[in-house]
Amino acid sequence: MEYGSVTARYFEALTRAGELPNGLPGLVSGEAEDRTLHVWVRFQLQLQSGIVRLARFQAFGCPHAVAAASKVAEWLEGRSEGDARSLDARAVCAELEVPVEKVGKLLRIEDAVAACWRHPATGNDKGR
Amino acid sequence: MSDADIYLDYAATSPVDPAVTAAMLECLQHEFGNPSSQHAAGRRARRLVEAARAAVAARVGAKPERLLFTSGATEANNLALQGVLRRRRKAPAHLVTSRIEHKSVLDTARALAAEGVEVTYVDADADGSVDPRRVAAAIRTDTALVSIMHVNNETGVIQDVNTIGALCRERGVPFHVDAAQSVGKLELELESAPIDLCSLTAHKICGPKGVGALYVAPHTALAAQLHGGEQERGLRAGTLATHQIVGMGRAYELADPEAEAPRLGLLRDRLWQELQAIPGVRQNGAPARRAAHVLNVTFPGIEGESLRFALRGVAASAGSACASDSPEASHVLTGMGLSDTLASSSLRFSVGRFTTEAEVVRAAATVAEAVHRLRSIAKSAPAWCSGSGF
Repeated sequence: MEYGSVTARYFEALTRAGELPNGLPGLVSGEAEDRTLHVWVRFQLQLQSGIVRLARFQAFGCPHAVAAASKVAEWLEGRSEGDARSLDARAVCAELEVPVEKVGKLLRIEDAVAACWRHPATGNDKGR
Repeated sequence: MSDADIYLDYAATSPVDPAVTAAMLECLQHEFGNPSSQHAAGRRARRLVEAARAAVAARVGAKPERLLFTSGATEANNLALQGVLRRRRKAPAHLVTSRIEHKSVLDTARALAAEGVEVTYVDADADGSVDPRRVAAAIRTDTALVSIMHVNNETGVIQDVNTIGALCRERGVPFHVDAAQSVGKLELELESAPIDLCSLTAHKICGPKGVGALYVAPHTALAAQLHGGEQERGLRAGTLATHQIVGMGRAYELADPEAEAPRLGLLRDRLWQELQAIPGVRQNGAPARRAAHVLNVTFPGIEGESLRFALRGVAASAGSACASDSPEASHVLTGMGLSDTLASSSLRFSVGRFTTEAEVVRAAATVAEAVHRLRSIAKSAPAWCSGSGF
């Protein structure tokens, strides 16, 4: 499997990997998974005044999935909730040159972010 | 791969030994004759081919005239299976093989099944071995061939081909063995073994790619699969690749298991010793019945593709190189009972002639660092990511 330079950079850096402290004001989280595709993603966001102040991710998946989660966490920080809700995973896939057969896997990242808004306290979308 | 990389994928292929390169270069530069030609250049090339055939035969305990040169073990496997089964085109035919064979056997079996051949796939045990009793139980009155590999390419597990072969002989069924991973690691004595067909290759033992051989025991009937010449007793048409064959012959001269296997076993064991510092690791395949060069390890909680990508500077593989483009988990490991997730969390390391102890120690440290890093970004992952919870 070949990986583009953007994928390699985000996979290497993992700048926003990890967890936010419990009890942080405005903390929301969401996760999604697809066991058949071997992918699980979790985001934790700190929302203040409708803005995503901090974003962290955890991921189990292929390099494209990990890099995409990393890229999305970076993208989320500083965005308004409205902008964040408009996340388009396909655009992230295009930037990371994700092979078409993996796009379905990366849509779980979009699901995980969406889950943050759905159940703000314990956001969770297990997918299938 | 740069010179600084650590190559631990000898079961996929191996660097060509300088002595092999020298023999091939000499041939390429000075002996371009067609070995089938009757003039002096052709006769010289023929002598080189026959010398190589004798060297290969000596290494595997066979008479030289029992070996046919092919383009590799894949072609040899195809010739063995198709050559036997297609010869019985008009009669009902049945093939017995195992679920953990190399793709070149499984895909050929599938192609034959599409032509009407019935195929029985024998299960492997959890330790990666194929029980000879299961093979015997699968043999029927119309069984035309049994095909079981000698050393599994993903786990290194050695199959009991002598017992399986003896059971086949009792039932009068020809027995084919894919020995692509055995040469240089195990002694082979094909002439005295209950084996009728045996596939060999050069590139796993520091020889060139693109050349292999099929051992055919006396009275084993095969239908040619390539047409267009009388080379190799009419069973494998095509101009013989003299330089490749010369390289294979030299590689087989050098591949002495008595000299190499103990050192490879020590390297493999050292690698495992180092990797055991990683929590939760487990090795796949019966440790007491493995060839010296292969170590297959599962790293629970790690997605295999990410682990391979994170292992910058260490060349290891998910399993068979011939299946590495497939997103599916190893059929060998799932055939041994591992879940898809655990099979996907596994790596095959394989050492060889030019591997050093310092390299395996350094590789283990790289693996440990990568595993730690990937686990650290999935601390809250559900249980199925670690192979449980299904």
